[in-house]
Amino acid sequence: MNKNRKFIIGFLAPAVIMFILVFLYPIIRTLMMSFFKIDSVTGGIETWKFEGLSNYQALITTPVFQTSMWNLFRIWFFGGIIVLSFSLLLAVILTSGIRFKKFFRAVIYLPNIVSAVALATMWLQYVYSSKFGLLTTFFNAIGLKSAAATQWLDSGHKFRALLLAYCFGMIGYHMLIWLSGIERISPDLFEAAHIDGANKPQQFWYITRPLLKGIFKTNITMWSVTSVAFFVWSQLFSTVTADTQTIVPMVYMYMQTFGAGNTVTERNAGLGAAVGVILCICVIVIFTLTNRLIKEDDLEF
Amino acid sequence: MKEKRERVPVNWHKELRLLPGYIVVILWVLFTFVLLGWVFAASLSKTADIFKNRVFSFPTGLHFENYIKAWGASNVSTFFTNSLGYSFISCALLILICAPAAYVLARFAFKGNKLIQTSFVSAMGVPVIMVVLPLFSVIARLNLLSSTWSNRFVLVFLYIGINAPYTTIFLTTFFSNISRTYEEAATIDGCTPSGAFWKVIFPMAQTGIVTVTIFNFINIWNEYFLSLIFANSDKLRPVAVGLYSMISAMKYTGDWAGMFAAVTIVFLPTFILYLFLSEKIIGAVTGGLKG
Repeated sequence: MNKNRKFIIGFLAPAVIMFILVFLYPIIRTLMMSFFKIDSVTGGIETWKFEGLSNYQALITTPVFQTSMWNLFRIWFFGGIIVLSFSLLLAVILTSGIRFKKFFRAVIYLPNIVSAVALATMWLQYVYSSKFGLLTTFFNAIGLKSAAATQWLDSGHKFRALLLAYCFGMIGYHMLIWLSGIERISPDLFEAAHIDGANKPQQFWYITRPLLKGIFKTNITMWSVTSVAFFVWSQLFSTVTADTQTIVPMVYMYMQTFGAGNTVTERNAGLGAAVGVILCICVIVIFTLTNRLIKEDDLEF
Repeated sequence: MKEKRERVPVNWHKELRLLPGYIVVILWVLFTFVLLGWVFAASLSKTADIFKNRVFSFPTGLHFENYIKAWGASNVSTFFTNSLGYSFISCALLILICAPAAYVLARFAFKGNKLIQTSFVSAMGVPVIMVVLPLFSVIARLNLLSSTWSNRFVLVFLYIGINAPYTTIFLTTFFSNISRTYEEAATIDGCTPSGAFWKVIFPMAQTGIVTVTIFNFINIWNEYFLSLIFANSDKLRPVAVGLYSMISAMKYTGDWAGMFAAVTIVFLPTFILYLFLSEKIIGAVTGGLKG
């Protein structure tokens, strides 16, 4: 047994050490940092000044941070509705027995493997371009001159433009999660329902929907985890630093700690850490709430 | 190899019922194709033609020089080689580190097994923002960002660390589906436990390892936030961050064709991988979830 033990430790050690170095220790330290005033990220612990909850208080009362949280909430909430419903719709269509299913599935997932920077650039420089953009060309072609003249990236439209482009890129991933759930449901159930005269929408409502509760939870969790890390899209869509239309907490934290732009008057890494902790708490709250609200009935299928 | 499928006779009545579904999916696919196709076509056009909105007709022929220009003048070649290097090394080390751990987690009952697995699964939900500050602080204090090679080492180290939990959990599921009889036979033949793993089980897990590696490759290729913070100079930047700085620069030079060429170069490697291996990649997405 002793020999086995050595073997187990030897095999586990590298991965566990990586986990401790990259996750466990930093998480604990970020949590600590959020209670201190820290002038420079690289400052040692001896330079930290304990200030209790004042970082959190400062954040809550900072208008830019409030805006960033509000933007993130809108992305999470409206984006979540768009992404989860469209991805479910596509998943249901793909499993309804249409031809070329694998091809469609592959193309719909395709945007997810493209670098977010490249994808966002395609949207910004092509789809939303006011000179040669897809939307402008399309609206001109069907004769809607006023829609064609819309400046999709001005401050009145920018947030919605950002949300739409982001959602397009995310739908494929969530569709795959839905698919994995739907494909686990036995086809016998649908067949029986079909024989009993249930049409497709009825089959969806009475068979697929109740059996997908667990998958729905997975989807919400994954959506929340990726939403919280919203960063690249915001950076690409903002033309000025601290663009109130597109700023999200992670961009705020980046400005705050790594000092991009002149909007930051005082550097305090403790504030940045507090942003991280707040986002983490959001994820945990959402996770607990969905677990409470959506009870899996442990249906056998 | 594609399996030969028996031709199902077209049942028009059934297809008609599915028509609304077809319309939605086809429109979606069409939009994706137009988006990517237009960018690709624009990367082969002149900027003037792009502005005249005549991208698909190529009135002045194909302009491959956009690529040559982007590749040479705008550092794309550096970003590209960097990304290639980071991705390959990180992917290889990820397997070397995670496969043994996953095997032990899947096969042996010991105190802490469950705890490690739960920790790894939760780590997949931890936002980077929660770990980035201490990492930066420690790495900067160790003075690792000052020289080129230590900075490269830092990037690879982080790519491995961030992707290790997912890789381990994915492979754990995979190993637990391989029958124990193989190691038993190997042990009877006089193999040590670690010999049994490397010589017998590891080669058998090839499909799982390939799948998770492709997935890791795409993730690392597209990684943005950590690279932005930890790659200290243009010489070290991977494609995602490099592309961003290039796009910002191209807004001033007005070289739209060159910009689309750069976008295409960044997007092409993962796209080609996807063309050949989409089934495997899609499998990796859903395979990692059932943890």
